[in-house]
Amino acid sequence: MSNASEAPSIIALIGNPNAGKTTLFNALTGANQRVGNYSGVTVEVKSGETFTPHGRKLRVLDLPGCYSLRASSPDEKVALDALNGLLPGESIPDLVVCVVDASNLERHLQLTLQVIELGLPCVLALNMVDVAERTGLRLDPAKLSEELGIPVVPMQANARRGIVELKQALRFPRPHASEADWSHETSDLETSRRAFIARLCELAARRPEAHQQTLSDKIDAVLLHPLYGWIAMMLIFFTVFWAIFSFAQIPMGWIKSGQDALSTWIGSILQEGDLRSLLADGVVTGVGGVVTFLPQIILLFLFIGLLESSGYMARAAYLMDAVMAKAGLSGKSFLPLFSSFACAIPGVMATRTIDSAKDRLVTIFIAPWMSCSARLPVYFLIVPLLLQSKEGTWKQALVLFGIYALGTLSAFVVARVLRGRLGEDITPGHFLLELPPYRKPQWSYIFRHVFDRAMAFVKKAGTVILGLSILLWALKTYPKTPSADKADALANSAIGHIGIVIEPVVKPLGFDGRMGTAILTAFAAREVFVSSMSILYRVEESDNEEQDRSILRDRLIESKWPDGRPIFTPLSLISLLLFFMYAMQCAATTAVVARESGSWKWAFWQFVFMTGFAYLVSLLVFQGGKLLGF
Amino acid sequence: MSHAHAADLEIDSAITLNQAKVGCDMRIRFLSGPGCDRLRDLGFCEQLQVRKIADGRNLICSICGTRMAISRELAEQVIVAPVG
Repeated sequence: MSNASEAPSIIALIGNPNAGKTTLFNALTGANQRVGNYSGVTVEVKSGETFTPHGRKLRVLDLPGCYSLRASSPDEKVALDALNGLLPGESIPDLVVCVVDASNLERHLQLTLQVIELGLPCVLALNMVDVAERTGLRLDPAKLSEELGIPVVPMQANARRGIVELKQALRFPRPHASEADWSHETSDLETSRRAFIARLCELAARRPEAHQQTLSDKIDAVLLHPLYGWIAMMLIFFTVFWAIFSFAQIPMGWIKSGQDALSTWIGSILQEGDLRSLLADGVVTGVGGVVTFLPQIILLFLFIGLLESSGYMARAAYLMDAVMAKAGLSGKSFLPLFSSFACAIPGVMATRTIDSAKDRLVTIFIAPWMSCSARLPVYFLIVPLLLQSKEGTWKQALVLFGIYALGTLSAFVVARVLRGRLGEDITPGHFLLELPPYRKPQWSYIFRHVFDRAMAFVKKAGTVILGLSILLWALKTYPKTPSADKADALANSAIGHIGIVIEPVVKPLGFDGRMGTAILTAFAAREVFVSSMSILYRVEESDNEEQDRSILRDRLIESKWPDGRPIFTPLSLISLLLFFMYAMQCAATTAVVARESGSWKWAFWQFVFMTGFAYLVSLLVFQGGKLLGF
Repeated sequence: MSHAHAADLEIDSAITLNQAKVGCDMRIRFLSGPGCDRLRDLGFCEQLQVRKIADGRNLICSICGTRMAISRELAEQVIVAPVG
């Protein structure tokens, strides 16, 4: 027996995708974790702490789901490394909990046998026994335990049934590593494993003979139908987008009122001066302009969580496979790309479920071209200006849809070209996807996940965007000029000089120096563009965001080149839209791409290609349009 | 029916999963091709029963109570025979 002063034992959870590892992990540790009813939700090793019934601390690792220890995808490689103690800062786990779906023992036990073969002490968590029993499976955990030589704990992690029993099994003395009896039977390990599992299931998990039509089968008959399935998918995703854009308006109004109250309050307690100007014009305007998008982001992640957790996302990937094939990718790229409509960062991270390394790189490459929610403020500012109308007309919705469609289409074309150039994989990967049974969404986990994403966004607003807002404010305030005229002061400030320097670069695209400066600031994060424009074109904050944007639009319409021509013609606006559609303006995404693709080179070339492409397209459209007389 | 006779019959009626009819229960006879290992990991093992649920660009089949979508290239490597 060991004493309590030792470092906590390490327990690793391993299992096939969809076996319920993450649910079990949450039940054990209560950690913030996402549960998806879709293969590959755990894309990194998460760790948490739990205690045995005797109060001993245990460190629990949640490994990515894998089908075998052959390490054929990045997730599986991570899981194998964790078991061998090769992850940086981690040692070999003291005990491995193999989580299996009790209704699928024939498949899930394969992995368990491989873990036993590694010689690691092991406990089998026989999860989802309720589902297994409902399908008429007769389970015999005692027999399983006897045959495998390891403790077997029947449980139902989502209802917290069997957690205490599992913790009992984790206490000292820990079970010993079992002998892999089957490995001596024949020369071929695969064959002996299969024979062993077949015998085991015959003994301890007897399946009713007849094939049963489950509720999931009936739902799938409609949702995977070649015609109705597509209609249903269109309806579902249309509803998601519509809900995001319409429901978000209400809380966005609240945030705006809060922001205005704050501005007024600052004005009332501080005297006219630099500090007041910094807080009211710099901080509140800059950060507030970005935080208003929080409701949309929350809603999008809520819907993605809902679709994943219910099991529909896997069906969408199945249906989309044919479409993705046109871009040279597989249906597995659908979820990462769809997530990228919210934000490219989780999208890029979700590419880890793609087996083919080349498909994965290409998906990462094009993900930032899916119009993310950070571009929306820019579109909301420019599109009404382009159509010379107020916000919220159907024409604008049409233009917005066109922007999304064009971005996606360009991304697919690039993917196809790039995928072709990369060549075939050495081991050809094939489309292979588990379609999990439909389940009731696990609300508590969805809410946690949404909360995490929202906090990450707020953190970004509180750090990067706050910093940039202050920097921008300082640049346009200093050096000060004695002149009382605001325009003079701005022209003499640091930003005025930057604008002059940058103007020759952006002028061929139809932009003036101020727009160039705003675009420059948007390279940290796109949404900064709107607040930069507000600061640069000196729009005072009012109590209505829409009104602010419309004031800003009026200012923009009035602004002219020195020779009296208006700066914002339809052509220069289209050029600006195109630039924002294509340019890689997100420092955070570049960092994530570098991490996920494992090379700064890939991230660097992505940045160069996208930004260069954006510049070129804007240039061609603006100059071409001018030649044609627009 | 002698054992040898039964085996002959099975080989005669062996077809790929692609050729199987939708809605039919089949038993996997053997796997052959580069995707074998991956298929076995996912539960497509010899002797197991599989039901083809949908045809198309990718097939959907039910194996051990789980629905799997697999590409036609992979299904071509699964040799099945009717159950019974």
